[in-house]
Amino acid sequence: MKAKIPILFAVSIAIIVLSLVLVKANIVQPIATIFTGSLGDARRISGTIKEMTPLLILGSAVYLALKAGLFNIGAEGQYTVGACFGSLSMIAIGGGIGVAVGCFVGIITGALWALPAGLIKAYRNGHEVITTIMLNAIALLMTKALVAGPFKGPDQFTPSTSMMPVQSRLVPLFTIGNLEIPQSFVVGIVIVLLLAYWLKRNVSGFELKATGANPTAAKFAGVNTKQVTVKAMLMSGGLSGLAGALQVAQFEHRFYDGFATGYGFDALGVALLSGSNPAYLILSSFFFGAMNKGGTALVILGVDKGITTVVLSIVIVMFAAIRYRKKEDIRE
Amino acid sequence: MNSFLLQVVTMSAPLLLLAMAGYASERSGVINIGLEGKMLTACFVCAAFAPQFGAIGGVVMAILAGIVISMLHWTLTQVYRIDHIVSGMAINLLASGGTGFLEASGFAKNTLTEAQRLPLWFYYAVALLAPFLLFWAANHTRFGLQHKSVGSDPSKARLLGINPQRIRLLALTLTGVFSGLAGSLLVSETSTFTKDMTAGRGYIALAALILGGWRPIPAALSCLLFGLATAVQIQLSGKPMFGMQIPSEIWKMLPYIVTLLALAGLLGRNRTPAGLGKH
Amino acid sequence: MSFAVSMQNISKRFGMVQALDNVSFEVQAGTIHALVGENGAGKTTLIRALYGAMMPDDGSILIGGKTVKFRNSADAIGHRIGMVSQHYGIIGELTNLENLVLGSEGSAILNKVAMQARATELATSMGFEFDWDAESSTLGPAGGQKLEILKLLWRDSQIMILDEPTAMLSPQDSEALFVSLKQLAEKGATVIVVTHRVAEVFQHCKRVTVLRGGIKIADHNVDDVTPNQLAEEIVGGAVMERPQPVSSSKSSVRLKIDQLSVRGEKGDMAVRNLNLEVKMGQLVGIAGVDGNGQRELFHALIGVTRPISGTFSFDGSQWDSESSRTRITEGLRIIPEDRHEEGIIEDWSLLDSAALGLQRLPAFKNLSKGTKKQAPSMAEMFDTKFGRLSDEIASLSGGNQQRFVAGRALSLDAQLILAFQPARGLDLNSTTKVYNEIRRVCQAGACAIVVSFDLDELLDFCDRIVVMAHGELYEPQTEVARDRAAIGRLMVGAG
Repeated sequence: MKAKIPILFAVSIAIIVLSLVLVKANIVQPIATIFTGSLGDARRISGTIKEMTPLLILGSAVYLALKAGLFNIGAEGQYTVGACFGSLSMIAIGGGIGVAVGCFVGIITGALWALPAGLIKAYRNGHEVITTIMLNAIALLMTKALVAGPFKGPDQFTPSTSMMPVQSRLVPLFTIGNLEIPQSFVVGIVIVLLLAYWLKRNVSGFELKATGANPTAAKFAGVNTKQVTVKAMLMSGGLSGLAGALQVAQFEHRFYDGFATGYGFDALGVALLSGSNPAYLILSSFFFGAMNKGGTALVILGVDKGITTVVLSIVIVMFAAIRYRKKEDIRE
Repeated sequence: MNSFLLQVVTMSAPLLLLAMAGYASERSGVINIGLEGKMLTACFVCAAFAPQFGAIGGVVMAILAGIVISMLHWTLTQVYRIDHIVSGMAINLLASGGTGFLEASGFAKNTLTEAQRLPLWFYYAVALLAPFLLFWAANHTRFGLQHKSVGSDPSKARLLGINPQRIRLLALTLTGVFSGLAGSLLVSETSTFTKDMTAGRGYIALAALILGGWRPIPAALSCLLFGLATAVQIQLSGKPMFGMQIPSEIWKMLPYIVTLLALAGLLGRNRTPAGLGKH
Repeated sequence: MSFAVSMQNISKRFGMVQALDNVSFEVQAGTIHALVGENGAGKTTLIRALYGAMMPDDGSILIGGKTVKFRNSADAIGHRIGMVSQHYGIIGELTNLENLVLGSEGSAILNKVAMQARATELATSMGFEFDWDAESSTLGPAGGQKLEILKLLWRDSQIMILDEPTAMLSPQDSEALFVSLKQLAEKGATVIVVTHRVAEVFQHCKRVTVLRGGIKIADHNVDDVTPNQLAEEIVGGAVMERPQPVSSSKSSVRLKIDQLSVRGEKGDMAVRNLNLEVKMGQLVGIAGVDGNGQRELFHALIGVTRPISGTFSFDGSQWDSESSRTRITEGLRIIPEDRHEEGIIEDWSLLDSAALGLQRLPAFKNLSKGTKKQAPSMAEMFDTKFGRLSDEIASLSGGNQQRFVAGRALSLDAQLILAFQPARGLDLNSTTKVYNEIRRVCQAGACAIVVSFDLDELLDFCDRIVVMAHGELYEPQTEVARDRAAIGRLMVGAG
C-alpha cells in the first residue's frame, strides 16, 4: 500500500505538467503565479485570509460531523440559509445588535437545515450524503426565490438583498499596513481551538468520537448513538450557518444568488486533509485559501483556475487513500 | 401542446440515461455521487472530438471517456477501498476543474453542426428502451441476478462463488456507457459545450434513482416526472397561477423535496440496497 | 467396503492450536451421519476441509473411493459436495427463486419458466411449498433452512454437509427437517449433520462420530451406544472433584430476571421466558453450546437489544426501562464477546480506551486526568504488556487487549459483571487471574454472570452453574449441581 502513495503523487504532478503542455502554456510561470498571487505581499496574504476564513469555519463544521461518522455534504446549503436569514436580520435590525442577532439566526437556521439529514440518518437509515445534497439544492433555490422576490433590495438589479448599512458592518480586528486580520477569521480560530478542546476533554465529545469510530462499541459503552448522530448534524449545521452569517457581516455585506460558490465541497476537502488533529484545520484551510486566491491570479495569465480544482481533488484522493482506507475490510 | 411534449422529452431524456448509469452502479453496491462529473466529462469529450471524428466518433469517444472515469471510480473504491463518497466528490471536482480548464484553453469551442451530431431521436429511442432492457436483464439474465446479489450482500454472494469486484467492474462499465450517452445527448441538444453545463443533473438523476427505489422503470418514470415539472415551469414562467405569481424555483425544488420525503420513509418503504458501500 | 466420503489421517494446525490431530472420518452412502463434539472439538475444521474451504496440513480425502485434492470450494462443488453453513446464506432482497439458483444459474439468459418448474418439482419431492416470486426476507428460520436444502438439490449435491442445521429451529421444524433429510438419504444422498444435540442423533442418524479436542474419540452405529455414554464421550469422561462453591443462599437478590423473551437477529425466539435470580456475592456460570440464546440474553441485559417481553431489575432499579448509560452508572460492567467490534476502538490510545464505557462515571469527570490515573492501574491488574499509554490499542496482541478490557471492567466499582467468554485469547494462568479477580469483586458484594462454552472453566471457577439450551435456562438438580456429565447432558438436550 505504502508504495502506491508515491505513484499517486507522481501521477498528480504528471497530470498538471501534462495539462500545461497540452495547452502549450509555460510550465514554471503558472506555478510561480499561484504562489505570488496568494502570498506575494501583505495585500495578497490578506486576500488569502479572506478566502480561507469561511473555509476554516465550514471545515470545522464538516470535521465535527466527520468525527461522528457523517459526511456533511450539506455544509454549503446550511451556509447559504445561515447567510440569507442572517443578512436579512442584520439589515432589518441594524447596528451591533443586528450583527449579533444575525449570527444567532445564522446558527439556528443552519442547524435546522441540517436537522432533517440527522433525523433521517438516525431513525430511517437514509444516507446523509443524499439527503444533504437534496437539502443543498433546496436551499439554493429557496434563497434565490427569496432575494429575487419578497426580499429583493430595492436598489439591486440582480437577485440580492440590499447592502448592510456601513456602520453596522464588521471591520477588520486590526490592520498592519496592508495586512488585514478580519474578526470572523479570529472567530474561526477560536472555533477550531474550542472544537479541539471539546473533542479531547468533554465527555460528549468523547462519545461523539466513539460513535464515529465504532458505533457498535459505542452502543456497548452506553452511548445513545442515534441521539449523537442528530446532535452532531445540528452542531455541524449551526457552525455552517454561523460561517454564512459572519461572511455577510465581515466581507459581503449582503446576500445574493450564488453566494456559496462551491464552499461546501471545499470544506469537505479541508476537513479530510486535517486528518486526526483539528488544529490542522488551520493549515488545510490556508492551503485551500491560497489555492483559490492563487487560482484567481492565474486567470490574468490566461490559464483557467480549473487547474487548481484538479490539483485539490487529486490531493483529497491521495489523503483519503492514506487515512480513510477501511482496515477491517482486508480479507481474501 | 406538441412543443410542450417535446420539452418534457428534451428535459427528461438526459436525466433518464444518467439515472440508468446510476442504477448500474448503485444496484451493484457502488455509491455514485460522481454521476455529475461523469456526464460533464462526456459532454466535453463529445464536443471536443465530434468536429474531427464525426457524429459517431464523438459519441464513441464520449462513451469511452465515461468508461475511463468509471474505471477510476472502480479502482479507487474497490482496489484502494477509498470511501465511495470521497471518490465520487473527487471525480466531480476533477471533471469540473479539468473540463473548465481545457475549455478555457481553447478545446471544445466549436458549435456542433448537424452532421457532427447524432439525431436526437436516436438518443430518445435508447432512453425509451434502456429502462425496459435493464429491467429485463435484472430479472432474466445471470449477470442481472448476480449484479443484484452483490449489491445486496457481497459477502454471501462471495460464498456462492461470485466475485463481487468483477461484477462491479462490469456494472461500472455499463455506468460509463450510459453516462457517455447522457453527456453526448446533452451536447447534441445544445450544440455547444459550456462550463459546468450539467448544472446539477447528476444529483437530480440520483434523486430519481432513489425515488424509483433503485429499480430501472420507476427510476425512469421519476425522470419523466422531473422533466414534466421542469417543462411546466418553463411554460408557466412569468404567468400567474391561481392568481398568484409562483416563482420558478418552487417547481425546481420539487424533485428534491419529493426525494427527501421518500428517504424519510413517507412514500413507502426504504429500498436502499443493503450492500451499498460494502465490500 | 467403499465409502462415499473417506477422510484419512487429517491434521490441521492453526498457530499454536492443533485443531485436528490425525482424524479419520468415513461416511457410507445413503446414510445420515452425525458429527458431534463440543465447541472447539474440530468439527467445523473437518467439514471445512471436506468442502474445500480450508486445506489440511496432512492427510487425504477420498470421494467415492477416488483421491481428490480441493483447492477451493468450487472444486468441492464440482464433486457434488454441498454445504449449508451455520451462517444464514439467504439474501433477503432476492426472491426465493433467485436465491435458489444464485451462483448456479446454468445459462447466461435465465429460463424462468423452466427454472420455476424444476424448483417446484424439487420442492414437491420434499413436500415443501414456496411462493417463488416472494422476497426471501419474508421467510422465517424454518423456511430459510428448507430453501437451503433445496439449494443443495438444485446443485445436484450428492454429499450434503449441514452445520448445526437445527440451531434456530423449533422442535417441530427440526423434526420436519430430519424427515426431509431421511428422504434424501433413502434416495442415495450422503448426509453429514454437525450437531450438539444428542437426542437428534438417536432419533434420526445411523452413525455417529465423536470429536474432542481435535482427536477422534469414537465411531458408533447409533444402535450400539446409549445417550449417556455418548454425552460422556462428548464432554470427556472423568468427573473431577471441584472446590466447594461459596454458598450465598442467605444473601439478598441483586439481579432479578422475570419472564424475559428476546428475539434473535433472524427473527427467531432466542431467549424464551427466562427467569434468573443472582444473589449478592454470586458468580453464576451459564453453560451451553454456542447459539442457544446466551448472546441475546447479554445484549438485552446490556441494553443494545430491546426485549419483546419480560422485565429485569437490579437492586430494585427497573433496568429494562432504563438506558444503558444508567445501568452503567449503577454498576453494570461488561467484558464483551467480540472484543474488536464491541469492546475497543482499534485506533484509540490506551488512555482513551480506559474511559470507553465508563466515560460518565465520576472517575472520568476530568477526562484527561481520569484516563491518566485509571489506564495504568487497569493495565496493571492483569499485566497487560504495552509500549506507552498513548499507543493505539490495536498495537497490542489479542491476549493483551483482552487483559486490558477485563481490567477495565473490574476496576471501578463494578456491581454486576457480565462476561462473555472472558478467557478468550488468554493463557491458563491469566484465565485463573481474571476469574479470581471476578470472584474477589463478587465477594466484596457484587455479582457476576459468565458465559463460557468451556464447561471445565465454569466448573473450576463458578459458584453456581446453569445451562442455557434453546433459549431456556435449566438449573441442574442440587445433588448433581457440579456433576460434569449431568450438566453435559443438559447442554446437549439428553438430560
